[in-house]
Order: sequence, then structure tokens, then C-alpha cells
Amino acid sequence: MFRFVLRRLGAGVVLVAVLSTLTFLLLYLSGGNIARRILGQQATEDTVLQKKHELGLDRPLLTRFGDWVSHAAHGNLGDSWFTGQPVSDAISSRLAVTLSLVIGATVVSAVVAVVLGVVAATRRGWADRLVQFLSVLGFAIPGFLVAIGLVTLFAIKIHLFKPTGYVQFGESPTQWLSSIALPVIALSVGGIAGVAAQIRGSLLDALRQDYVRTLRSRGLSERRVVYKHALRNAAGPALSVLAIQFVGLLGGAVIVEQIFAIPGLGQVAVGATGQGDIPLVMGLVLAIAVIVVVVNLAVDLLQGWLNPKVRVS
Amino acid sequence: MGTVAAAAAALVVTLAACGGGSSSGSAGAGAGTGTGTLTLGALVPPTSLAAAGANWANEAPYIQAVYDSLLHETPDAKILPWLATTWSYNADKTVLTMKLRTDVKFTDGEAFTADVAAKNLLRFRDGTSANKSFLANVKGATATAPDTLQITLTQPDPALLTYLAQNAGAMESPKAFGAADEKTKPVGSGPYILDTGKTVVGSKYVFTKNPTYWAKDQQHYGTVVINVYSTIATQVNALRGGQVSGLNLADNSANDQLKAAGIQLFPHELDWTGLILFDREGKMNPALGNVKVRQAINYAIDRDAMLKAVDKGNGTVTGQIFGTNSPAYDPALDTAYPYDKAKAKQLLAEAGYGSGLTITLPQFNFGATTVFDLVKQYLGDAGITVKYEQVAANDAIAAILAPKYGASWFRLQQDPTPWQVANFEISSTATFNVFHIKDPKVDGLIKKIQTGSDEEAGTAAKELNKYVVDQAWFNPWYRVAGNFAADKKTDVVQQSDNAYPYLWNITPKG
Repeated sequence: MFRFVLRRLGAGVVLVAVLSTLTFLLLYLSGGNIARRILGQQATEDTVLQKKHELGLDRPLLTRFGDWVSHAAHGNLGDSWFTGQPVSDAISSRLAVTLSLVIGATVVSAVVAVVLGVVAATRRGWADRLVQFLSVLGFAIPGFLVAIGLVTLFAIKIHLFKPTGYVQFGESPTQWLSSIALPVIALSVGGIAGVAAQIRGSLLDALRQDYVRTLRSRGLSERRVVYKHALRNAAGPALSVLAIQFVGLLGGAVIVEQIFAIPGLGQVAVGATGQGDIPLVMGLVLAIAVIVVVVNLAVDLLQGWLNPKVRVS
Repeated sequence: MGTVAAAAAALVVTLAACGGGSSSGSAGAGAGTGTGTLTLGALVPPTSLAAAGANWANEAPYIQAVYDSLLHETPDAKILPWLATTWSYNADKTVLTMKLRTDVKFTDGEAFTADVAAKNLLRFRDGTSANKSFLANVKGATATAPDTLQITLTQPDPALLTYLAQNAGAMESPKAFGAADEKTKPVGSGPYILDTGKTVVGSKYVFTKNPTYWAKDQQHYGTVVINVYSTIATQVNALRGGQVSGLNLADNSANDQLKAAGIQLFPHELDWTGLILFDREGKMNPALGNVKVRQAINYAIDRDAMLKAVDKGNGTVTGQIFGTNSPAYDPALDTAYPYDKAKAKQLLAEAGYGSGLTITLPQFNFGATTVFDLVKQYLGDAGITVKYEQVAANDAIAAILAPKYGASWFRLQQDPTPWQVANFEISSTATFNVFHIKDPKVDGLIKKIQTGSDEEAGTAAKELNKYVVDQAWFNPWYRVAGNFAADKKTDVVQQSDNAYPYLWNITPKG
């Protein structure tokens, strides 16, 4: 088990390294005069050259990359070229916010998907068809459209949730819940669809197995058969789908954060990439890569716990 | 399933009890009480909170919250004393002497002196602000006495006093000059202090009352929060959900919805929109060098129809690039070129283009496509074929300034002083005179505007306006109306020369 984790971590580190290098090259080599872009058209050539020197753009690419890596290893990701704020501050102040959204959406997706998948697989008939229909609908409707509809209904017409903004959990847990409820629901819609369909399929397979017949014949209640035994075996593939969805959720969070004015990583990502704020973009890529690696590792461990056969690989 | 349902019901009830939508704090008992919270919305976060890098327009409220400027403006752009109490120019208007207040302290305890003021001006002139050219004519600034500031100019600048009332005149504590966190932790003498603990850079800025502020009657609230809402949808939701007291609407698409929800709208005409006919000497397209062709273009386009189709009637038709508050403004010029397709055709024939002519215009991917379709249609009806070249938003300014086109659709601010407008759009070195065309008559009039007495300058400005309209240097259609939205408990007075109202003009109602 220990070796498994170590190997996974090693692969994760390699992934983060490759991603950082590629992003660095893309950002600096994408052409255009970076200093001039920051200073605007009105700036004089002298000011542009001064800025170039200040940002270290007149040094060779490899030196700049080496510097970034060595600083990053010590936790110094530089300062934003536009706001002057240290990148590590910008990211750490927003990380919890985006994670609240994304983890919340993952949990909600998982729970609702399990309920829908189980209902579809066990009841069959009209319930099954309904769930399949809802899955297709969930895939088809874009998350932000759902978001806009939800806000009008549940935040403005009825003052149930907050229409915009984010309240920290430390400030007020109930207000926090109220502020992330709608964004989380908007993000979950797409995720539910995929996972529910997967659970339905895997559960149908599992329920056809011989051991299920044996368990039933030994007098176990249907609820125990489904939840304690069959679902556990069906969960594997669904968990993989969920892990993939999680990564997609990070991208969906960008749009949702804009619409709900939530101060997360997504909001700053749009600004930073649009302006070409390279230190901030590098910091974001690093943060997101680390999150994805950690989540995938967690999912792999969870798979291992669910299904011992997976542990030996 | 029973326990799950019960738990779910309990959760819903809890959320309903303390769910969102609560209004932002209690309003003060009246203007100047300095209590309560004002929550504003802004389209963009501040580029820099350091005075030397400060921007203006939609970033003005951030700067005004923490900094005092040397001067103030009335809502219709007349100059008022502020940190500077009196001022006067020398005979040839190249030396401005200002007497300053002596009772102002920055929030870190440093005293505001003439020397500090001089340093701030020079830092802005040499700094990173997009408006640093506001102080381009400043040769030097010194303190001739602890309370006397002397500014020397390379040439007279009629707009200088206006700039000193804005970001160019923002005064920062000398102890904060060059600090590592200068851009995010401002130190000024203004009505509020940035609460860095509650602030999330780029999203939410929280300011608390400055307890030692010298102009307490301008402190209308105890706390000011400025949230960044970048899309119209977010703005509308925040307004309707009672989460914000005032913001500058990104566009006019939600006006009806907001009015129906009881939100007040304060309209404001800051920009003019229409065509700029750059190539007045015919360098790129000889046709545009002929005044009759340019006049034909003015007759060919139906301004009323443009206003209705493109901005849904939000604005006022105009025929001049100077605003109604400008000394150059003349209402008669608004009807100089009524919509007259036949007249347009006649002028083109007189110019020798009876069989038609082709012009190339840029088409931007911002702004409604309606504009470009309609321009093509109207000019086509008069015999002018329009060829469009696609230009991306990021490249728009660069392409215009290159210059790549003889004419273009655009939208520009109507500055309060004729000097500003002349230097921005008319003079031979103006930014938007992209072919740098020199016209001796224009140069003479601009000189009078720059150096003449107020009366002489006013007359010259009117003459300049008439000349520019007669010569059809532009084809203005209308002034665009923007709207500032505010909830029922907030009163707002729009600033005639700025996109965002000035902070002290936003007050609790009653």
C-alpha cells in the first residue's frame, strides 16, 4: 500500500513538473511584447525597456525558468505583475473558496447520482426511464443557464439563498451554506448525469451476479443486498467517472464564479490569463495541477479500499 | 428514508430562516453621519492602489475612498478647493501657485505639506498610470513654503486644474513611497482606510471610516464595501437581491427589469458615438480628402434610427463631439446635417463620385453588429460601398492608431474642457488625429483656447467646434446614455465628466 502511494505521488510530481514547464514555455514564447502589453500603447520606448528589465524579460529563457523553479520550491511564486500582490497570497486566499464549490459539487453530485442510479436500477420501469431522461437533460443543459434560472427563482423571487458573493465558513456557517448553495447546484447538474448513468449500469450488472442471488436466498433484506454489497462493487467505475468530473468542475467553476461574483481561483484565472499576468498564471497552473494530482490519488486509494483486487497493480 | 427526509426538511427550514437577500446594513440617519455600510459595485478592480499608478473612470471610487486630491469638482465639472485652498497662475500661465491646507495628516501620522504634494505630482508624472500624460506639461513642482506649492509648466494647460482634482492630484503619504506592498496597501489622508484583512484583492475591497479625517461632513458612511461584478447578469442579481446599493451598469439591457424591481436609475451621457473621418487629406483614400464626401456621409446616416436600433433610444442625438457642459457646445450644430439621402447623393456627384465610391472600415468584435450592418446599409443607399475588415478587440486601438484605416466607428468621452477634446481628437498631435493632419486655422484656435482669457478661450472653442462640424471631420450620431443603478435608500448625483459618480455624491437618502 505504501509503495502504491509513493509511486502515485512520484507520478504526480512528474506531471506537475511537465505541466509547469509546458505552461512556462507557452506563456513566454507566445510572442508579443509583454512589457508593452502591460504598459499600454501610450508608453514610451524607454519606459518599455525599463519595465522589461524590471521584470527580467531581458534575461535568457532558461535562466528565468531556473529562477522560477528554485523560488517556487521555497514557496515564493513571485508577485502579480498587475496588482503587485504576492501570487502565493492571491492563491491561498482563494483556494478554500473554489474548493468549497468544487468539493461541494462533487459530494452533491455523488449523493444525488447514487440515489438516482439506485432508483433506476432497482425500480426499473418508469422510474428508470425518468432517470435516463434526466441524465440526458443534465448533460445537455449548460451549467450557467441552470445557474441563472436558479438565482432568479431561489434568490430573488424567494429569498432562500444569496444571489451573489461568498461568506467564509468561519464568519457564519449558515451564511456560507446559503452563499454556495446555488453555485454548487449549478455545478452539480452536469456531474450528476454522468455518474448516475454509470451507477445505474454497474448496479444492474452487479445485481445480476450469482452472489446477489445467494445473499437474497440467505434472507438478507433487499436494502442490505443493494447498499452494503452490490453498490460497493458497482461503485468502482462510478468513482472513476466522478474523478474525471472533478477536473471538469474546476473549469466549470470559472464561469460559475463570474456569474455569482465568488472570489475564487476561477475569477482570478480569467483576469490573469486575459491580461497576461504570467507569474499569477504559473501559480494557478501549479495550484490546479497539485489539486488534480491529490484528488486522483485520493480516488485511487478509495478504489483500493472498495475493491481489494485493484490494490495489486 | 424517513430520517433522511426529516433532515432535509430541517436543513431547508434553517436555510430559509437565515438565507441570503438581506440588505447591506442600516442606512445612516442622514448625509454626513458617518454610520452604516455602503456597498457599491464596480466593473473592474483597481489596477493599482498606489497614488502614482492610479487610474480613474470606473476605478475612481477606490482612489477617492483612501486619497484626497488637491482639488475637487462640482458635479458639472467646475473646480473647487480641497487640499489646495487658493491658487493662481502667473501672467503667461506657465506657473501655478497653490496655497495648501496645513491641518491634514495621513493615516500613518505623516503631515501633508507642500513638499509632499510636489513629490506626489512628480511621481504621478513619471509613474505607471494610464493617465500619466495628464501631467505631461509639468516641468517641475516645488515647495516655496511649507504650505505653498509651485508647479511650473512647459506650456499653458487649461485642463491642469481638472486633472489635479482627479487621480493626478491624489496625495499619498511619503512614508509609503516605494513600499513593497504600495499597490495593495494604500496610505492616504482620505475619508476611509482600506481594511486589508477583509479585502480580497481583485474581488472585494472593504474600507472603514478614517477617525481623524479633516472633512467629516464628507464621510457619509461608517464602512464602504466595493465588490467587483464584471457581467451585467451578476450586477442585476446583486441589485435585485438587495446585496448592493449602487453600481455602474455595464449596459442598458436590464433597465426595464430593474425599474420594475424598484431600483433607481440615474442616467448620464458621457460618450459620443459615430464615425471618425480620419483621412481628411486623402492620403489613404482620396475621396475622404474631399469635404463634400465627408459631408455626404453626415447627411447619409439617420442618427435617430441609429440611436433607436443600436442603443434602444438610450441617449440623445448630437452632431458635435463637444458635450453640453462644454463652453464649445452649440445646440444649433446638432441639426447641421439632417438625414437627407438625396442631399448626400448630390454632394457625392458634385465631388465627382456620382458613379459611387468604396471605403474600407474596420469591424470590431465588440459593440453590437447592428452598428456595422446599418452603416453599410445607409452609406450603400447613398452610393458609398463599405468594405469591412475584421479587427479583434485586443487589436482595435493599435489598428486605429497605426493608422490602418481612413475612417472608423468609435465611441469617445466628451471631456469637460475644449482643451482636452482638442488634444484628444483635433490637434495635429492628438491621439485620435491618427494621420497627424495639421490645419493652421485649427492650430490658431487651439492656441487661443490654451492661452487666452476665459472669454477668448470660450469664443475660440465655439469657433473650433463650428469649423470641425462644417469641415465634417467627424460624423457624430448621438451621446450614449449610461446608467448608475441605486437602491431606494441611496441618493446619487452623477459626475458629468466621469463614468462613475464621485464617492461623496453617493449619500443615504433622507
